[in-house]
Amino acid sequence: MEPISFLPAWPLAVPDLAKFCAALIVAMLVGELGDRLLRLPRIAGYVIAGLVMGRFAGLISDPSLHLVSVLVDTAIGMILFELGQRVSFGWIKRNPWLLAASLLESALAFTAVYWVLIWLGMRAPLAAIIAAVSMATSPAVVMTIARDLRAQGQVTERLLLLTALNNIYAVITVTMLFAWLHLEYRHDAYTIYLHPVYLLAGSVLLAAVAAGLLLGLMEVLDKRRATQVLCVITLVIATTMVAEALKFSPALTALAFGAFARSMDRKRHFASLDFGDAGLIVIVAFFVLTGSMLDIRVSLATLAAALGLVAARALAKMVSVIALGRATGIRTRKASLVAVGMLPMSGLALLLARDAMALYPHIGRDAAGILPAAVLILEILGPLAVSFVLRTSGEAGEEVRRGRN
Amino acid sequence: MEEIEFKESTPLTMGVELELQLISPRDCDLTRAASDLLALTESARHPGEIKPEITESMIEVSTTVHERHAPLCEELQVIRDVLVAAADRLNIEVSGGGAHPFQRWHERQIYDRPRFNHVADLYGYLAKQFTVFGQHIHIGCANGDDAMYLLHALGRYVPHFIALSASSPYYQGVDTAYDCSRLNAVFAFPLSGRAPFKLSWSGFTEYFHKMQAAGIVESMKDFYWDIRPKPEYGTVEIRVCDTPLTVNRAAALAAYAQVLCHKLLAERDDRLEKLGEDVYLAYQYNRFQACRFGFDGVIIDPYTQQMSTLRDDILATIAESYRSACALHATQAINDLVYMARIEGNDARWMRERYAESASLEDMMWRQAQRFRAPPRVSPKKGRAVRQERQLWPARP
Repeated sequence: MEPISFLPAWPLAVPDLAKFCAALIVAMLVGELGDRLLRLPRIAGYVIAGLVMGRFAGLISDPSLHLVSVLVDTAIGMILFELGQRVSFGWIKRNPWLLAASLLESALAFTAVYWVLIWLGMRAPLAAIIAAVSMATSPAVVMTIARDLRAQGQVTERLLLLTALNNIYAVITVTMLFAWLHLEYRHDAYTIYLHPVYLLAGSVLLAAVAAGLLLGLMEVLDKRRATQVLCVITLVIATTMVAEALKFSPALTALAFGAFARSMDRKRHFASLDFGDAGLIVIVAFFVLTGSMLDIRVSLATLAAALGLVAARALAKMVSVIALGRATGIRTRKASLVAVGMLPMSGLALLLARDAMALYPHIGRDAAGILPAAVLILEILGPLAVSFVLRTSGEAGEEVRRGRN
Repeated sequence: MEEIEFKESTPLTMGVELELQLISPRDCDLTRAASDLLALTESARHPGEIKPEITESMIEVSTTVHERHAPLCEELQVIRDVLVAAADRLNIEVSGGGAHPFQRWHERQIYDRPRFNHVADLYGYLAKQFTVFGQHIHIGCANGDDAMYLLHALGRYVPHFIALSASSPYYQGVDTAYDCSRLNAVFAFPLSGRAPFKLSWSGFTEYFHKMQAAGIVESMKDFYWDIRPKPEYGTVEIRVCDTPLTVNRAAALAAYAQVLCHKLLAERDDRLEKLGEDVYLAYQYNRFQACRFGFDGVIIDPYTQQMSTLRDDILATIAESYRSACALHATQAINDLVYMARIEGNDARWMRERYAESASLEDMMWRQAQRFRAPPRVSPKKGRAVRQERQLWPARP
């Protein structure tokens, strides 16, 4: 029989992007079901869906799809920018204990993770880099859940401030540590001292310029909110791309951009801006991709090491935040909630570690998947912790919304 | 039937309660912070009281009992400073104002207390929409009969208090065109409005027992009247004022109430009894004029049927009560009110002017919070203006 000529060839050649979109829809359904049946945070559902589909269904075959990677870069940039806006210099000045608590928790977390890794036999520079990365709380998880639950109050505010600060420390420390790596592998004085200076100063300077530009634009764009929001988003994308092109740190640039824009905003343009749910599709894509990047084929030994890392980090953060809770002006119960909320580890960790390994491939073998395994544990547990914290503190506003429906 | 005991108090003593807004400096919206703020102020030593109110975005402060304006004002400033210091540690702003200009009322969370939960259950969305902020002024009375006399005699001056304190021109994101939109939210409650025309305490007790027997009210707290007796304190309580943007103005309003009561008691005659319930004929109309137009509202004097603008009526009343103001050492406060009525305008006008500058309610809200915080500005310029004010007094009759 003659084949019917207008029918497509079999098997169908489904574009990767279409597969990815299908995966997103499945992930949204999983997230919704998890929320309704188990009261799981939606993003935990996205991560799990991404993990399963990436591993077994082959729906997420090529995470480097161009459009998707642009989306994800945008998402990370916006999340960091919004997080940077939470850094209120005025608040830190009026309540310096917050800065003390923040420095202490990051320093302790760094030390604890570093010693655990050294004890496990890891080389010092790599252990230090992983320890630096572990200082950071996942901005994406905290921001997304806080917004999803419409949380508002001291626990939320402090959680977001401490997250913003420890991300800044992490980026700076990692940058500094690259110098140490240079020292160990190259002995090139210029590189050792100039690289971190170039990277930090460049990022901060670029952020300041971008903030000035943004505020100038907002002045001109009047009060039409849609254009103002669009203006922010486009400028964040442009700035992070410039940062990347100039080999600054895009993450630090986005954070500093947010912080400067907010602190230089004398006319409070930002007070009325609501980035809303427009970024939702990007958030889903981001967590599905994170899930698909997780590797569950870890050995028992690696898992144990990762658990050790997670426990040491958690202990360090909890001890310091709870110890300084009263000094910063909240009750110990609320301080403990803030501390638990800081558990999620940044997916940024994976990227930073990857950067380090790309620069110096021969140290990569040592890592032996400890960091990815730790991220695996915390990507699943972290969202649970944050949503538990925001609900327990009574700061989640979602009950109202449910009641209205 | 047993009479409710009216606790005797020193006549003309005064106390103030202020409901205040808790604002997030990030988006200038109301924020949940009452319990955290209270946890901090609990450990601080301060006069008066700082208490939770019906939602987490609201806090109430009250002063002790005072005989004079100056110490009352000082105490309010101390309480404000304690509050602001605690708020600074939590990165929130405390602000005056009768209503938040753009909050979405359905996002408010009821403070977890049996009475508040009961009110929320009973009134449904009204309870959350009732996220408005008022000043209550208590004036001490020797006995229940005096309290009832003052309550009804003060009714004529209710529009004064509305116009002088008005600070809720914006509500739910729009200019309501009212100077005081807050009272419109209060009117929705079934037990709002004015007290029944009873001139004796026994008459009032009888009314209360009837309402209680009918199951309409449980306690005096269930009445949301503009002025109500408070037998536990031995006071009449004026409840129509928006919370002003500064504590100084709150103290000045209390002083004005004290001066009026002094005058009403000193010149007590049978005018009120003769006129009877007709004293309330124009009451709703006058009150509406005050809410809508502020000082420009036109009101009708229930005794003389004369029409005049509120501005003129206030200035004339103040001129007539100058003797009482002197007797109570309240001339400073009264001067400030004259300056406000004549030149500066009320807080609603200040808010509209700020909004005109920036076209941003967020920015206006932020400046409003800064105004609450700022210590009284005694700039030489303003000092001159206040001194000149003495010549602006209307001629004494």
